[in-house]
Amino acid sequence: MRKQMSTWLVLVTILALVAMPLFSQGAADKKASEGTTVIELWYGAAMTEAGPPPEDWVGFQIIKDKLNIDLKITALPSSEGDQDVKIQAAAAANNLPDLFMVRREVLARLVPQGLVAPVDDLYAKMPVRTANHYDEVSRRNAMFNGKSYGLSDPGAIIKNEGLLIRKDWLDNLGLAVPTTSEELFTVMRAFTFNDPDRNGKHDTWGYGSFEEIGSYEGWPGRRLQPIFGAFGAEGTWDMTEANAGLSVFKDGFYDAMVYLKRMVDEGVIDPNWMSYKKDDFRAAWKQGRFGIMREQNAAYAAQSNYAPFDQNFPDGQWIIIDPPKGPKGHASVGPYTANFRVYAISAKAAQAGKKDKIAELLEWMASDEGYYLLGWGVEGVNYTLDANGIPVAAGVPDPDYSFTGPKGQVVTQLRNMVFYNGDVELYARYPTYTTAVSKKQMSALDVLREMQTKKWTPAVGSNTLPTPNADLKRFYEQSLSEFITGKRTLNRANWNVWLEEFRKLGGQAWNDAGVASMKENNLLN
Amino acid sequence: MVTKSRKSELSREIRRHASVYVLLIIPLVYYITFKYVPIFNGQIAFKDYMALDGVLGSRWIGLEHFRTFIQSYYFAELLRNTLMYSFGKLIFSLPLAILLAITIYESKRRRLSRTVQTLAYLPHFLSWVIMYGILLALLAPGDGVVNDIIKAFGGKPRAFLTSVETFPWIVIFSDAWKEMGWSAIIFIAALMGIDPALFEAAMVEGATSWQRVRYITLPSIRPVIVIVVLLRLGTILDAGFNQIFMLYSTPVLSVADIIDTWVYRQGLLEFQFGLATAVGLFKGAIGMLLILFTNRIVKRLGGSSLY
Repeated sequence: MRKQMSTWLVLVTILALVAMPLFSQGAADKKASEGTTVIELWYGAAMTEAGPPPEDWVGFQIIKDKLNIDLKITALPSSEGDQDVKIQAAAAANNLPDLFMVRREVLARLVPQGLVAPVDDLYAKMPVRTANHYDEVSRRNAMFNGKSYGLSDPGAIIKNEGLLIRKDWLDNLGLAVPTTSEELFTVMRAFTFNDPDRNGKHDTWGYGSFEEIGSYEGWPGRRLQPIFGAFGAEGTWDMTEANAGLSVFKDGFYDAMVYLKRMVDEGVIDPNWMSYKKDDFRAAWKQGRFGIMREQNAAYAAQSNYAPFDQNFPDGQWIIIDPPKGPKGHASVGPYTANFRVYAISAKAAQAGKKDKIAELLEWMASDEGYYLLGWGVEGVNYTLDANGIPVAAGVPDPDYSFTGPKGQVVTQLRNMVFYNGDVELYARYPTYTTAVSKKQMSALDVLREMQTKKWTPAVGSNTLPTPNADLKRFYEQSLSEFITGKRTLNRANWNVWLEEFRKLGGQAWNDAGVASMKENNLLN
Repeated sequence: MVTKSRKSELSREIRRHASVYVLLIIPLVYYITFKYVPIFNGQIAFKDYMALDGVLGSRWIGLEHFRTFIQSYYFAELLRNTLMYSFGKLIFSLPLAILLAITIYESKRRRLSRTVQTLAYLPHFLSWVIMYGILLALLAPGDGVVNDIIKAFGGKPRAFLTSVETFPWIVIFSDAWKEMGWSAIIFIAALMGIDPALFEAAMVEGATSWQRVRYITLPSIRPVIVIVVLLRLGTILDAGFNQIFMLYSTPVLSVADIIDTWVYRQGLLEFQFGLATAVGLFKGAIGMLLILFTNRIVKRLGGSSLY
C-alpha cells in the first residue's frame, strides 16, 4: 500500500512538473469538435466596474448557433498601462488571443515581431461593418509599411471636452465670463481669494487640474490645454505646414509655461493638482474646490456623475465657455484627433485559418441583431424602444435587468465593439433627465454638442506620430514640471539652455522623425 | 551491497516520513515551475528576443542589454535612488519592527498588546492604492490634515508628495508604517523562543527592564536579526515598485525613479523583454554577491550566519 502511495506521489509530481509549464504556455489553438471554431477575444469592457457577461448570456448561444463559433471572452484591465502589460506579456510568450483590443503604440511594437496579421483583406468581407466603422482615416490609423494591421473601430467621440466655469461663483462675485487669458487670471484670483461660495473660508481655488498626459497631449496634459491653447502651444505637436514640429520648441510654449508658473506662484490653481489622480480630481470639483476646469461631457453631465455635485450644490451651475484668447489672439480647447479602438488579429489565429471566421463574427456584430444585442441586450428584458425607436431602460419588467441596471449592464460589456457613435447610441447613452435635488434639466448630449462648437485644434494622426524613448520622455516631462515647481528657474536663458540639452538628448531626432512622419502620411494642416 | 542497503534505508526513511514529503510536493512544484524553469529563459538577457523565434531561436547579442542599462542616461540616479530607498527602509523599518516586537513581548497588559499588535498588522493588508489615498488625505497641500495643522500654527503649506526634499521621507516612513507590524511577527516568534528562566534569573539578580532587553532579549534574537538583514540584502535592489509607482509624479522623478520603475517603462511598456531580463539578472547578481560577502563577514566576526 505504502509502495503504491509512493509511486503515485512520484507520478503526480512528475505530471505536475510537466503539465504546469505546458499550461503556462496557454491553451493551444483549438478547433472544437463538429467544425465549431473557438475564438478567443480580449475585449475592452464598456463598464470596467461591472462584471463580464454571464456564462449563460444569450449572445454566446446565438453566436454558436448562427456562426458556429465558440466565443471565449476575457476583459482587459481597465487602465491602459495594465492592458499594455497584459498584451505584451502574452505577446512575449507568443500566446496572444485570436482577436484583441490593443493601443496603437503597442501594436506598433507587435507588428515588427510578426505577431499580428494584416487585415486588409477583411474589409471587403465585412461590407456592413466597413461602411459604418472603417473609413479611410480608420484604415490608415493602424497601417504599417503599407498594410493595415488592426481594425480601427470608432472610439471616444471627438471634441467631447470643454472649458467649464462656475457661473454661480461668477454671479456671486459680480464677474463676467472671461474671454482672454488675463481676464481668466483675474477670475482665477477672485475664485481663490474672494470667497466665491460665500462660506467664509479660504477653501476654493481658481483652476482645477491633474497630470493626464497622452501621446498627443504632452505635459502638462489635457486638463491644461486651454491655457496652452491661448499661447498657440496646445498639444505635443504643431501640425501646421508652416510650423510643423514639437510644440515645446515654439515661443508660445515658453509663454504658456510662464503663465502656468504664475498660476502656481500666486496659488490660483488647486495646489493638489500634481498629486491628484483622475478620481481625486473628479471628487474635488464635486466638492466645490475649484471653479474652472476642462472636463469631459459625460463625466460632467451624465446623471450619475452630476448627482453628487447637485446634492452638494443645488444652486451651483457650470457653464461651457470659449477657450480664452491669448496675447496674440490664439485660443483652443486643445488638439483633437480621430479616436479609435483598435482590434488586432494574432498571426497565430491567421495561421490557424480563423481570419474569415473572425470577419464573420464582426460582421454579425454589425448587423441589426448583433448591434442591438451587444449594445443594449434583449428587447423587452434589458430595454424597450421609445416612440423614436431609441432603446430606453424604462418599461422593462425588472429594472435591475435594464441595460443600465446592476444585473443588466453586464450584457452590454461588448458594446464598444458595435457602437460607432451613431445617433441611436448617443440619444440612448445621454438621455435628458431632471436632476434629483435642483430639478435642473440636464443632457450630456446637449453638453457634447455645445463643446464641439468651441475652438479646437485639428491634429488628426498626431497619435500615430513617433513617441520618445522612456529616458527622453522622462527628461521632457520631469524638466517641465521642475520649471513649474521651482526646482529649475524659469527664465529665458535657462529655458534656452534646457532646450539645447533636450535637443541633444534626442529631442531634435524625435522632432525630425515626427515631422517626417507628418509629411509622409499627409498629416499637415 | 552497501549501495543497496543505503537505498533501502533512504526509501524506508521516505516511507516513514511520507506525510512530510506530501507536504513538500506543492512548494517543490512551485519553486521548480516558477523559480528554476524561468532560469532557462534568463538567456534572453543576452539575446534580441523575438517572440516568434522563441528563446532558443532569437539572435545572440551578448552584453548589449547590460550596456544599454548601464549607459542609460539615468543609470547613476536610478542606482542611487534604489539604494537610498532599500537602505533607508532597512535602517528605519527594521529597528522599528524590532522595537515593536520587544514592546509587545514585554508588555504586561496582554489585551492592550494584542490590540496594538493587530492594529500594527492592519496596514500590511492595505494595497498601495489605498495607502496613497490615505497619504493624500494626510499630506495634500490644499486640505491635507498635516497642512491644516501647519496652517493653524501660521505656517505655509507644503506639497509633501511633490517636493523632492520630502518625497523620500514619505516613501521610507509610509513603508515603515505599513510593514512594521508584519515585519515584527518574526521577531515576536523569536522572542517567544527565549528561555523564561533567563528573565527570572535576571529579575532575581535585580536587573532592570532595559538591562533585560539589552543583555538577554537582543542577544537572544540576534541570529534572527542577522538572517533578516542578510535576506534583505539579497533583494537590496528591489526598492518597492508598487509603492513608488503609486506615489511618484513628474516633479519628483529625480528622487523617485528606481530601477524597477525604469524597467517597467523601458522594458515592459517598450516591449524590450530582453532588457528587462538583463536588469533582473543584474539585480540578482548584485544581491547574491552581497549575501555571500556579508555572510562571510558576519561569520568571520563570529556571529550567526545564513549558512
